[in-house]
Amino acid sequence: MIKALLLIAGALTMTAGWAQSVSRETYDFNYIGQPLPDPVLQHSKETFVLFGCAYCHGLDLVSRGEATDLMHSTLVGRDENGNLIGPLLRAGIPQTAKLSPMPQFSDLSDQQIGALVRWIHYARAQGRYKELIDSKSPGPGNAAAGKSYFDEKCASCHSVSGDLANVGGKYDPSTLRQRILRPMPLDAASWEVSRLHDTKTAAARQRHQGLLENYSAADVQNLGAYLQTAR
Amino acid sequence: MNLSRRDFTKSALTALPALTGLAALHSSASAQARANPNRSYINGVQFGLQPFCYHDLAMNTQNRPELVRRLVQNGMGMVELHATWCEPRFDGPGVSAQEARQKLRNWRVSAPADYYRKIKREFDDSGITIFTYYVNISDADTDAEIDATFEAAKILGAQGCVGSYGLEIAHRLVPFPARHGLFVGLHNHDNLSDPDAFNTEQSFEKGLAFSPDFKATLDTRHFTAANGDCVGFLERHHQRVSSVHLGDRRKNNGRSTPFGEGDAPIIEVLRLIRDNRWPIVALLEFEHGTLRTEVEEVHLMFDYCKRALA
Repeated sequence: MIKALLLIAGALTMTAGWAQSVSRETYDFNYIGQPLPDPVLQHSKETFVLFGCAYCHGLDLVSRGEATDLMHSTLVGRDENGNLIGPLLRAGIPQTAKLSPMPQFSDLSDQQIGALVRWIHYARAQGRYKELIDSKSPGPGNAAAGKSYFDEKCASCHSVSGDLANVGGKYDPSTLRQRILRPMPLDAASWEVSRLHDTKTAAARQRHQGLLENYSAADVQNLGAYLQTAR
Repeated sequence: MNLSRRDFTKSALTALPALTGLAALHSSASAQARANPNRSYINGVQFGLQPFCYHDLAMNTQNRPELVRRLVQNGMGMVELHATWCEPRFDGPGVSAQEARQKLRNWRVSAPADYYRKIKREFDDSGITIFTYYVNISDADTDAEIDATFEAAKILGAQGCVGSYGLEIAHRLVPFPARHGLFVGLHNHDNLSDPDAFNTEQSFEKGLAFSPDFKATLDTRHFTAANGDCVGFLERHHQRVSSVHLGDRRKNNGRSTPFGEGDAPIIEVLRLIRDNRWPIVALLEFEHGTLRTEVEEVHLMFDYCKRALA
């Protein structure tokens, strides 16, 4: 409950004056962009800027120089709620062949680490969506491979004879592809007071975001081919 | 007469015996700076900017006018100029990294001196001195290319070439600076796991021993993050230090911070330079995050330094 209240307080502060006390005149809109509609994500984005992560890894995770490419990092892809990223941030990577080691951020609070992790996953999902939508079709897709993927990753919540019955007849392939990549839970705000106890939506959002961050182009194509058979 | 930089190199080599020593050159230039201080000479310390600070501004030739505009806006009269602000880019769709690199190599050894003279004029006209030319030289650079790079720096009016390389590359650079009447600035990072890196006082001592033409470009952020003693280093080696990259970080490979929030002794460093009249240029640099515009952040950093020297 305390965590929730802190989050609310944080969100209110952000919308009023953002994470750092900066006037509108000197706020770097050109670099950071216009405020996002979701204040929690906006706060996360600003935290990513404030601790210098954006200068090396890129605000939208297009990295500069020798920084790790967070958009395609397998560690980020495997991370759940900061279980991998958090400890790495706190320790840094002192042993490296790179010119500059990744600094350690041991002085950050759990909330600050949480905000950095939230932005990394959000920005990665956004970037991966764009990559997958823009990617050239690797072929018609393999329905059998799509079924295997579905059984492994989706079947615990969805069924082609249940909630996804006739999904292949409902959407054309292009729309279906978009719905696979960005289903309804991902369009919901990251956090709202009215959804404080709606853990189901929160879990669905997190799960779909995780899938989006890790799909290969072939995975999406195969999944589409399989779901097209659901008529 | 339009000399190509290759021609210029030849004539410079012919005149080599007439060149004075680097130490004399550097100290006379510094004396001149004291006699004719530019706009960012503040209470005994010559300030300048490492324009990597303008994180939102891609370091390319197209953005050079904007760089000059911002430097003036920030009250800077001196800069450490990255080569990328001067050299054209050859990468692009359908061009492999190898092809782009070869094209750059070819361009470097054939670029006319006038190309760099024009760039120098852009800065001169705005009252900005190019103190050093920042180029990351690597194994991929040919000797001809390194000579051409040093000559470019000379035409730009720079006193030295600075870069982030290790001991091995530094050793290879030994013959180059004297040919062009410049110094080589050795810039440290905080990678303590790399025995080739400039990261500690000992590594600087090794590098500086390679040549009297080598100087330390002491990065206070990285030196602090590597648990180095910036003040002690300056007290012991100030005669071999050309500049400091002045910024703040926390110890133990800690993060970059706004000025005054980290462990780098910024105030002490500035006062040491001022009180001892050392000809060490303080180049402001930051990698800490900010929600402010870069120009505003540089303004705040510069203001912090001015108050330290007030």
